[in-house]
Amino acid sequence: MYCSLPLVAYAMAGASSRVHFHDIPDVVLTTIFSLVSKTRTRNAMSLVCLKWLALERSTRKSLTLRGNIRDLFLLPTCFRAVTDLDLSFVSPWGYPFFDSFSNPHLLAQFLRHAFPSVVSLVVYVRNNSISTLHHLAPQWPNLRHVKLVRWHRRLPTAPIGSDLVSLFEHCRTLSSLDVSHFYCWPEDLSLGIQAYPSIAASLSHLNILKHSSTEGFKSRELLAITSSCPNLRKLLATCEFDPRFVGYVGDQTLLAIASNCPHLSLLHLVDTTSESGIRPDLNHEGYTSEDACICHATLGDVFARLPLLEELVLDVCHNVWGTWPALELLNSKCPRLKSLKLGHFHGICRGIVSRPDGIVLCRGLQSLSIKNSADLTDHSLISISRGCHILSKFEILGCKGITATGMRIFTHNLRKTLVDVKISYCKSLDAVSSLQALEPIRDRIERLHIDCVWEENSLKKKYKSSSSTTWTNIQHLSLWIAAGESLAPLSFAGIDDCPALEEIRIKVEGNCRDKARPSTNAFGLRCLTVIPRLSRMMLDCSGVTGYAHTAPAGKTDLSLWERFFLSGIQELKIDELDYWTAQDVDMNRRSLFLPAAALLAQCGSLRKLFIHGTANEHLMMFLVGNPFLRDAQLRLNYYPAPDDDTSTKMRVDSCFRFEEALGSSSRHVPD
Amino acid sequence: MGIVEEAHNVKVLGSGDRVTVLAHGFGTDQSVWKHLVPHLVDDFRVVLFDNMGAGTTNPDYFDFNRYATLEGYAFDLLAILEELRVESCIFVGHSVSAMIGAIACISRPDLFSKIIMMSASPRYLNDVDYYGGFEQEDLDQLFEAMGANYKSWCSGFAPLLVGGDMESVAVQEFSRTLFNMRPDIALSVAQTIFQSDMRQILSLVTVPCHILQSVKDLAVPVVVSEYLHQNLSSESIVEVMTSDGHLPQLSSPDIVIPVLLKHIRYDISTV
Repeated sequence: MYCSLPLVAYAMAGASSRVHFHDIPDVVLTTIFSLVSKTRTRNAMSLVCLKWLALERSTRKSLTLRGNIRDLFLLPTCFRAVTDLDLSFVSPWGYPFFDSFSNPHLLAQFLRHAFPSVVSLVVYVRNNSISTLHHLAPQWPNLRHVKLVRWHRRLPTAPIGSDLVSLFEHCRTLSSLDVSHFYCWPEDLSLGIQAYPSIAASLSHLNILKHSSTEGFKSRELLAITSSCPNLRKLLATCEFDPRFVGYVGDQTLLAIASNCPHLSLLHLVDTTSESGIRPDLNHEGYTSEDACICHATLGDVFARLPLLEELVLDVCHNVWGTWPALELLNSKCPRLKSLKLGHFHGICRGIVSRPDGIVLCRGLQSLSIKNSADLTDHSLISISRGCHILSKFEILGCKGITATGMRIFTHNLRKTLVDVKISYCKSLDAVSSLQALEPIRDRIERLHIDCVWEENSLKKKYKSSSSTTWTNIQHLSLWIAAGESLAPLSFAGIDDCPALEEIRIKVEGNCRDKARPSTNAFGLRCLTVIPRLSRMMLDCSGVTGYAHTAPAGKTDLSLWERFFLSGIQELKIDELDYWTAQDVDMNRRSLFLPAAALLAQCGSLRKLFIHGTANEHLMMFLVGNPFLRDAQLRLNYYPAPDDDTSTKMRVDSCFRFEEALGSSSRHVPD
Repeated sequence: MGIVEEAHNVKVLGSGDRVTVLAHGFGTDQSVWKHLVPHLVDDFRVVLFDNMGAGTTNPDYFDFNRYATLEGYAFDLLAILEELRVESCIFVGHSVSAMIGAIACISRPDLFSKIIMMSASPRYLNDVDYYGGFEQEDLDQLFEAMGANYKSWCSGFAPLLVGGDMESVAVQEFSRTLFNMRPDIALSVAQTIFQSDMRQILSLVTVPCHILQSVKDLAVPVVVSEYLHQNLSSESIVEVMTSDGHLPQLSSPDIVIPVLLKHIRYDISTV
């Protein structure tokens, strides 16, 4: 929550013209300070005077430690009030925490001394003989929430469950565990949970999604976990819904999960193929070849057993048929339901205007996401907008039957509440028509995602109409675009004036191996210069595949594509950039080439740069010339995990030299 | 770890009585051998290292004088072998590293039991009665681009030219990895490579040489391998593989790995 201090001061001044900020009682000041979350603001506040410094330090609750591990002895000791500590971003990223120290125990104690009040911890746990958790966990026996991170492969020789056992052994009050970015085997988790039944019984929040691998949990594993953790309130898991696989999750498993954990307020089950990133063919009928073993009758029973449910995600990725009766039961059995996401649920609403049914009856929904509902029509959509009348967030993905007409009436009906919309890979909704359909909420919408699919006819029409369109409140814009397409039409597609837009995310996807050289020299980042307040960008080219070094004659290297994507970035005034490099799938290699380093070095306003890929030292050194750059890191947080041996990732020494150069006193960073 | 080992990111893997040293070509690093290494570690001690100037080494260690000729790199190789106390090795050299191995084995033939030359060439520029594959005009464009990158880099502008901008496909093939080096080092290395003419030293090589080459490598015409075979004074054997490109150990491992293993394991008479 961001509290505007001048506003408070003004309010005080309004009450009586002689009231000074320091007349406010300390208790009230403390509350005001604790509401400020932006780090830069806090840093500025702490420079005002000693009293404010003390207040700021005593109200700073969360801290992400950056800096190089070799400098850990320089750890600041003034943040003793911190309760949420993130150690997973210490440089070099993903390095085994205690490897460079001869006395890890002393260092662990030092961490404890610096941060005595930590109850929530995020830490990167690499494979090594000196287990990170073995040293850290005893320092904070009162930990309540732990998130473990590991993108590197789990060593096959590591004993099963060793990391979790170290954690559970020392942190008996643990109630929340997140291993969604932790590369481990299902057995590691099962063993840990079974070995510590008292912790399992008091776990209220368990996140076992699998972002860091493509496997999921089997049915019996899920059942074992849920029966050991009956007090779970939040469960997120990746599993296999395809009935051809051993251990698939079907009716009976869902029923058992609901029986085991009746207190669930958040249930989030996702199929292993959900994040595969493979976009279905837009002309595809919308049905998968395999059905899930889930029938609407059992679904109804499942919902009946979860009366406290507030948030439900069932991204099944395999057909679930005729679901409207189940969704009606969802509404009656789960009165607290506010957020719903369904993948491949067909028949969610039959669209009969006079008899609202199915999902239309879920009137309490504030957030709805419909993925791949093949028989969803405009009628259904319009009925939904009448039924779910307080929706503030809506996502529609892969629904062939929806057109701009239906979408427009939908947004019109929800114009008082809708502020967050995502429209993606719907055949009849290209960029221009999506933006036109959102016209009723153009002045309200805060977050938007559209696919940059340019349809020549609609573009020509729009260009001719040339009326300016102002999107007054939009703060976050997310785009998807196919590799090789240009961003340039965006400026006249219907979203040209965004006075409040600060953050943009662009995802580029496609196989460049066989594509001809990009015809223009620039992807079109330059066209974003018209956005006055743009300060943060996420450019995700991780879905772009091509040749790093082995392009056959006549084919284009990834270095040329990199130049194509990043040209123009030097003209943007962004201060924070996350860049995911393209990849050479054959070599499992995602790295920066010369054009990227050169162009990023020209982006003079950058303060923070995070590259999700590898880069050689000399290319990173190009960035030392950026006048404002104070934080740059290579983060290999992608799957398949980076290889350990014979890889071109930045060596530990290279990282240290780069960070030393970046942080050296001869670089005078103006602010 | 000794200084030389650390500077070159030397790795020693596997176990066996014989030592195999894998040397990468310019613009890449030891990861080009990633598909080959698993097949060797059971029978050989495998030594991997990065040439000075490779992206994974400290650019401050690049001594422009030392590396103005290929001899400088040969000295590095010998230093590594000495620090690791290798008495005799099978040397696998890709591209220019094959010639570096040849130079090293002339001064210390005792250290090398055989040399495997992959995609190697003694001279890249065409000459009277010699076809190296590159014409002067092609190289002019390359040096112009590298010079432009160097100037940009020095003046704080963006060096943006890459191998794919070259007109000649042969130059593209060879230089695409070179452009990824730091612009001053890339220029120096390119000059070193294209000014070197190793044809004279071939007659001084006494160690058996296995010459491997892709049937379609735009940077190394097939006739070059024949030239090597004819002019090496030691015994040699040529195998032309059906692979494509200058980095066949990466682009076509299923063709290349078996051939490499065959030549590593067996001598010329038994291959």
